[in-house]
Amino acid sequence: MTERSPIGLAVTSVHRDPAEERPEPEDFLDKEVLVIGCGNVMIGDDGLGPAFIKHLEARGGAPAHVGLLDAGTGVRTVLFGMVLAEKRPKRIVIVDAVDMGRAPGEVFEIDLAEVPPLKADDFSMHQLPTSNLLRELRDQCGVEVRVVAVQVAWLPDELRGGLSDSVAASLERARELVERLY
Amino acid sequence: MAKTLTIAPVSRLEGHAKVTINLDDAGNVADTFVNIVELRGFEKFCQGRPVEEMPRIVTSICGVCPWSHHLASAKAADGVFGVTPTPTGRKLRELCNSVAYTEEHILHFFFLAGADFVLGPGADYKTRNVIGVAAAVPEIGKKVVHNRHLGARILNIVSGKSIHPVTAVPGGFSKPLTDHERDMALKMASEILEFAKFSIAWAKESVFPKYLDAVKTVGVIKTGYMGTVRPDGTMDLYDGKIRLMKPDGSFVDFDDTKYADYISEKVLPWSYLKFPYAKSWNEGFDMDLDHPKGVYRTNTLARLNVCDKLSTPMAQKEFEAFRQAFGRPCHLTLLYHWARLVELLYNAEYAVQLLKDPEITGRETRVAVKPRAGRGVGHVEAPRGTLIHDYETDDKGLVTNANLIVGTTHNNAPINMAVKQAAKLLIKGGKYDEALLNTVEMAIRAYDPCFSCATHNLDGRLAVRIDIHRPDGAVETMAN
Repeated sequence: MTERSPIGLAVTSVHRDPAEERPEPEDFLDKEVLVIGCGNVMIGDDGLGPAFIKHLEARGGAPAHVGLLDAGTGVRTVLFGMVLAEKRPKRIVIVDAVDMGRAPGEVFEIDLAEVPPLKADDFSMHQLPTSNLLRELRDQCGVEVRVVAVQVAWLPDELRGGLSDSVAASLERARELVERLY
Repeated sequence: MAKTLTIAPVSRLEGHAKVTINLDDAGNVADTFVNIVELRGFEKFCQGRPVEEMPRIVTSICGVCPWSHHLASAKAADGVFGVTPTPTGRKLRELCNSVAYTEEHILHFFFLAGADFVLGPGADYKTRNVIGVAAAVPEIGKKVVHNRHLGARILNIVSGKSIHPVTAVPGGFSKPLTDHERDMALKMASEILEFAKFSIAWAKESVFPKYLDAVKTVGVIKTGYMGTVRPDGTMDLYDGKIRLMKPDGSFVDFDDTKYADYISEKVLPWSYLKFPYAKSWNEGFDMDLDHPKGVYRTNTLARLNVCDKLSTPMAQKEFEAFRQAFGRPCHLTLLYHWARLVELLYNAEYAVQLLKDPEITGRETRVAVKPRAGRGVGHVEAPRGTLIHDYETDDKGLVTNANLIVGTTHNNAPINMAVKQAAKLLIKGGKYDEALLNTVEMAIRAYDPCFSCATHNLDGRLAVRIDIHRPDGAVETMAN
């Protein structure tokens, strides 16, 4: 952690042609399928979701109709806008770490009804206490919602980044499962 | 027999909180506690990291107000390196700040607090949420979503990323804006401005008049205030002196590097969240409702109270009307919502103003920096209050010490006081119903609190306390 990498500190400007016509960045709401990696990269295995998106990107990304989104701790913003948006993906695949007493690193798909209450809060970010945004997306908006979960092994009491070995080893298995949902 | 009511979690807040209300034998409110139950902690996490990485790291702490942390961190890193960003770099940072503000304020007013106002505190709990608001006022619901989406698109255009931003760097901003990008963003920002104008006009006509009685009574406490101003007293959300105002309206302005001379933090055994107070008033700290000591507030109402004027014409007009109607300082807690709409208009106007500034597309967006031992304090006004990042580094530029005071933390004492005041007002003789309890929640929600990143202690205690008062006077304290 203490290795210095001062690359970029001496940069003063980036040379872009002011007249350059660069298109607006892609809107993830336009995608047919959206894979959303959720979690906090500072809380051990909770960083599974963001690590999973990086894992996919490092292996060539996804087909054109599929969007990959590292929502990190900002999933509220993503889902909140999606619930009431005029356009939205036909299917979303949430990839997240859960603690459901399974074997560490086990990859499995869960039904929304099985989402642990704490995670339901996470998904809805406390705005819909009697339901959650994922269920709203499915029931009110006609979006197919799939949840791919990985059983955590390590959630540190103090903030520390990095995945446990068993969860890191699950990334490839999670990719195989998620890609079947494209 | 004495009774303890518990409302948990307080819904439509960012993060967890638990309110405990202790009733006495007569069924009246004996005491209240707003308990923070979420454990977070990142100050320690920062130690040993290259300071230029901090602006990127802090956005992962919490997805609720990443831009505020990103910018306060970049400013603190500027201070460590001893550099001043280029004019273009500063304006790009300010542009992102203003656009992010519009997203947050629209969300909070219409969908978080909006459920209370649009549907009423007595509405069915199951429908008193964002979906309920959208169903009650569908056209407005669509506009809300559309305009928040526009904000996210602008941030994507300007910074490449809206969720976990990376473009504010020590010395400025890493991505210049092209003319074409500016044109796209300006069109969207102009649309947001139209919605901001609509929002405040609609609220003044259709929402606030119905709740003026509640505004004058619920959560009203007399405290001091804190915000940020330019040298001439103009409100500034990105930079300036911190102004600390006493409850009587007198104030002092100070540089953010001196914050420890003016504010201190009290630790109470039942909460993870510290209680900042105005140390410079030399009266200690007390949350007594009638005679509070050292208590000040931040966030929207505080900022309007401390400033002398606003820099954009339409918001200034609204500010003048607000001040004329409610005075200075205004202590009516529910007017945080009204002040939030004045700020929404200000930010929408300011974003358009910045995008029309030719300097916004300048090519020199940053200055070079060199690692060194130093201290840097950076502060911005986050939507939820004054956000201070304070870093110290060794000669390699690695963080040796980091202290953060976040917006919600400043409001910890006033939130507790406002809840107590509201509970005492609305719960008498043991009688209460869901509408009353939700009104207590309204007193909290006015502050738009975010507890996710406000809790820092790492000692393993859980911040819940339930006191049960027995008829014989004995008190049983339960903590978990």
